[in-house]
Amino acid sequence: MSLLSQAFRPVGSNRVDPMLVALWLALVVLALVWITPFIFIVFTALKSSDAVMNTSAFALPTEPDFGNFVSAWQRGNFSTTAFNGVIITFIKVPLGLFISAMAAYALAKVPMRFSKVFLALCVFGTMLPFQVMLAPIFKQVNAFGLINTYPGIILPYLAFGVPYQVFILHGFFAAVPKELSEAARIDGASHFTIFRRIFLPVSLPVLSALLILDFVATWNEFAMALVILQDPKMWTLPLGLMNFQSQFQSNYGELNAAIIMTVLPAAIVYLMFQRYFVAGLTTGAVKE
Amino acid sequence: MRFKKMAATAASALTLAAILAGGAVRADELKVWTLTFDNNSANGAWTKIIKDFEAANPGIKISREGRSVDEHKAALRVAAQSSQGPDIYFMWAGLGLGGEFVKAGLSKPLDAYYEKYGWDKRLTPSAASFSKLYEGKRHGVPYTFHGEGIYYNKALFEKAGITSVPQTYDELKDDAAKFKKAGIAAFTFGGSVNWHVMRLMDVILEAKCGADKHDQLMDMKLDWSTEPCATASFEELNDWSQNYILKPFMGIDNSQAFKLFLANRAAMMLEGDWLVDQLRGAKKLEGIDLFPFPTGTDRLYGFAEYLYVSAKSAHPDDAAKFLDYLLSDKVQQESLGAFGSISVNSNVKYEKVDALDQKWIDIFGKYKKIYMNGDQAFPLDVTTEYFRVINEVASGNMKPADAGKTLQTFISNRKG
Amino acid sequence: MSKASLSMRPALQGYVLLAPALLVYLLFAVYPMIDVIRMSFASWNGLSAESRFVGIDNYRAVLTQDPVFWGALWNTLWWTALAVVIPNLISFGLALALNQNVPGRSSLRVVFYLPVIIASIAVATIWKWMYDPFFGLFNSLLTSWGLSDWIVDWLGDRKIALWSVFAAHVWQSVGFSMVLFLAGLQSVSLTLIEAARIDGAGRWAVFRHVTLPALTPTITIVFVLSLINSLKAFDIVYGMTGGGPAQSTQMLAMWAYTQSMQLGDFGRGAAISVILLLITLAVVVPYMRWMFRNPEDAR
Repeated sequence: MSLLSQAFRPVGSNRVDPMLVALWLALVVLALVWITPFIFIVFTALKSSDAVMNTSAFALPTEPDFGNFVSAWQRGNFSTTAFNGVIITFIKVPLGLFISAMAAYALAKVPMRFSKVFLALCVFGTMLPFQVMLAPIFKQVNAFGLINTYPGIILPYLAFGVPYQVFILHGFFAAVPKELSEAARIDGASHFTIFRRIFLPVSLPVLSALLILDFVATWNEFAMALVILQDPKMWTLPLGLMNFQSQFQSNYGELNAAIIMTVLPAAIVYLMFQRYFVAGLTTGAVKE
Repeated sequence: MRFKKMAATAASALTLAAILAGGAVRADELKVWTLTFDNNSANGAWTKIIKDFEAANPGIKISREGRSVDEHKAALRVAAQSSQGPDIYFMWAGLGLGGEFVKAGLSKPLDAYYEKYGWDKRLTPSAASFSKLYEGKRHGVPYTFHGEGIYYNKALFEKAGITSVPQTYDELKDDAAKFKKAGIAAFTFGGSVNWHVMRLMDVILEAKCGADKHDQLMDMKLDWSTEPCATASFEELNDWSQNYILKPFMGIDNSQAFKLFLANRAAMMLEGDWLVDQLRGAKKLEGIDLFPFPTGTDRLYGFAEYLYVSAKSAHPDDAAKFLDYLLSDKVQQESLGAFGSISVNSNVKYEKVDALDQKWIDIFGKYKKIYMNGDQAFPLDVTTEYFRVINEVASGNMKPADAGKTLQTFISNRKG
Repeated sequence: MSKASLSMRPALQGYVLLAPALLVYLLFAVYPMIDVIRMSFASWNGLSAESRFVGIDNYRAVLTQDPVFWGALWNTLWWTALAVVIPNLISFGLALALNQNVPGRSSLRVVFYLPVIIASIAVATIWKWMYDPFFGLFNSLLTSWGLSDWIVDWLGDRKIALWSVFAAHVWQSVGFSMVLFLAGLQSVSLTLIEAARIDGAGRWAVFRHVTLPALTPTITIVFVLSLINSLKAFDIVYGMTGGGPAQSTQMLAMWAYTQSMQLGDFGRGAAISVILLLITLAVVVPYMRWMFRNPEDAR
């Protein structure tokens, strides 16, 4: 009771507010609706094909069957797609953040001609939907002979990830007090040193938020990968799932097992880091 | 220096990616691009064929890549412009799908190899005939030869009081009415994959227009808007979909339709000979029988799948050698039934086959001519529009009378 | 490096820091955008070696002869309008509610946010399965509630297919805006609220005069972000309907992809891309002008 004793009281009041109780009930109901698809997916993944067709959607799987996961893993070539996802994400995300941070620092703290132009170009880029230009991107990657390669997918990912990250980090760096860097400049430190010694450390919260955001986005990306990774050996998890769906649509248990295996890594990463994520997003995107 | 270290990490990451990307290509590797196969026997047969061939030819490595239909088409298109393409690729035969790649110069003429290996002596003439469709040179070798017909649920036929299989299109319609009366859906189709409902349109066209007009319509030499049999066919399609197809069907795909067929939810399914293997896999051969769709013409609904040698292949001789091995009596005999009911090799002996396989062998023996699926006869953009019009008519959103005009407008607007 | 950099002019150092990001951005984002404009005036089938200049033929074909284009344009605009309003209203309500003193706030927040981190293609697969007309969640629920008459072909009926896809989009996107709104609500001064309360202001007055003004920058950002995001709706439609039935759920971005990559008509695909780009610019340019004029509000 002690935990709840503070609940339902509006700011600056000591009485339980009935409006808040009603609101809370509505929230719980809505949350149940929101979580229903997950329950349905897990239940189906644990059922055999016959059980799916002959029992109700919310019937508990009476004999949980993990065979679906095993066979979906093999049929969907998950070991390949997961490996590719790891390679692509683990190279792209840190590399992208690093070059974005460098660029953001240069735009925010180094007096340069055209820096306003570059920044405008960058903001423009944050709003440029690459889904619109899949064919020319494909053509460009192909011109470099990089179709079906890791660099071939990482380079466009970088190109379309950089603007947003530069934009956010620029806003953050610009707000860092001048005195902090001026002192170092007078001591004769180069911009490289100031960036590394002063700005990278203070931006760690923002960087970690961007890291998670970018990890999830890269891990889940579909349209660009669809165009550039044509070779099944190079596919990422979303491509693998799409192929699985079009091939084994009617094998409901395995399909749902495949969904769970595709979704789980990003969910785990998010749940592990969500504290930093929310904090970072707050400082970076909206408030500062 | 942390900066240096980070830069070094980034650089080494890039190098690693470059190595991973470049490491795959080997000089003596043949890339074979096929579809992915629903049935495991086809996958198993390919694996064995490749393994045996590699053992007999130590200098050649073969890697097979499988994709779903749409992805395969897109990937080939991509391959046409990059150096990442296959040495041997799967594609349907015919002027539509296969012809487009031949026209673009993606396929290597194989006349010399037909001569060298004497393929004509062992290939069934009807299956090999597609290689001569292209002007001047011969392209590709037959991989499979497929027929499509009506599979039916014997118990449901009995239940509806139908004692013999329909011999004409009108009898088929009568039977459909009997099913409706008995509260049974006559057919099941999966509308989300466009080509499934298209099959119904194809066979109706054959029945309503006859062989010559049907061919001319598919060649786009006859006007769809003024040809009465085209409109009549769309009317039939509308009638079938409103009255005799298990609903809802637009939101499901062909494999879901098959599931429903197995669950006795519909009496018939218009499917290819490959379904026999799937029925075998589902242990449902017993209650099912089949007959060709009654059209009144003496042609079978079907198509051939071919394997083409890419014009960009660096090892065409090795590719031909592999195809020769694939077409050999021994391999074709061993992998009988894995790719389709019948082999493209005429020396193959059929023993110990199930009743349905025998049915297909008889059907293939009976028909001398075939008519092709619409999506293999039309160019891709027309196919897309054909799909759209069929779906609109089938879901009751377009009047059958307007369908021919819509399709013809699209055809007339095409450049060149 | 440090020795050399000491002697480097500061501006040059800046360019060195800027170079990698700028280079990759110009090569793989800006150049394709220019290229797509060029391609839209050419005829190229993706197979042959060269392309041919055809003037405005592609645009004429797309605008006057393409049986799908106008439907796709309409769908895109319709989708965008709804996607900006409906999920964000829900997000806003959720954020306000979760900002109150109710138990289990953080768990509730996780529940609503979870769909956001799921790949769109997985969301599509999940919902496609729930919409399965014979064994899916919705129709089995309707059956068990005795409402068999309400059973519909969720993704196969053109009258409702796009709504069905949109429902999945709402489920997926509500959490994202919610987190942004929650973050924005942190900036609402508690002292101000208390002061207003003491002055006798009711709930609505507090909301109207204290909370809402403080949230204006957040609302703008959410508005623009969801506008841009919805214009590129691709994954979820591709995964759920592939544009069907009979192209009734087709969208511009996907139709451009289909024309180029699947039908091999890169000219027409590019023309559709350019049209979508122009629509996007019509939104982006005013926003950018506003932002550069009021840099403080924008952040």
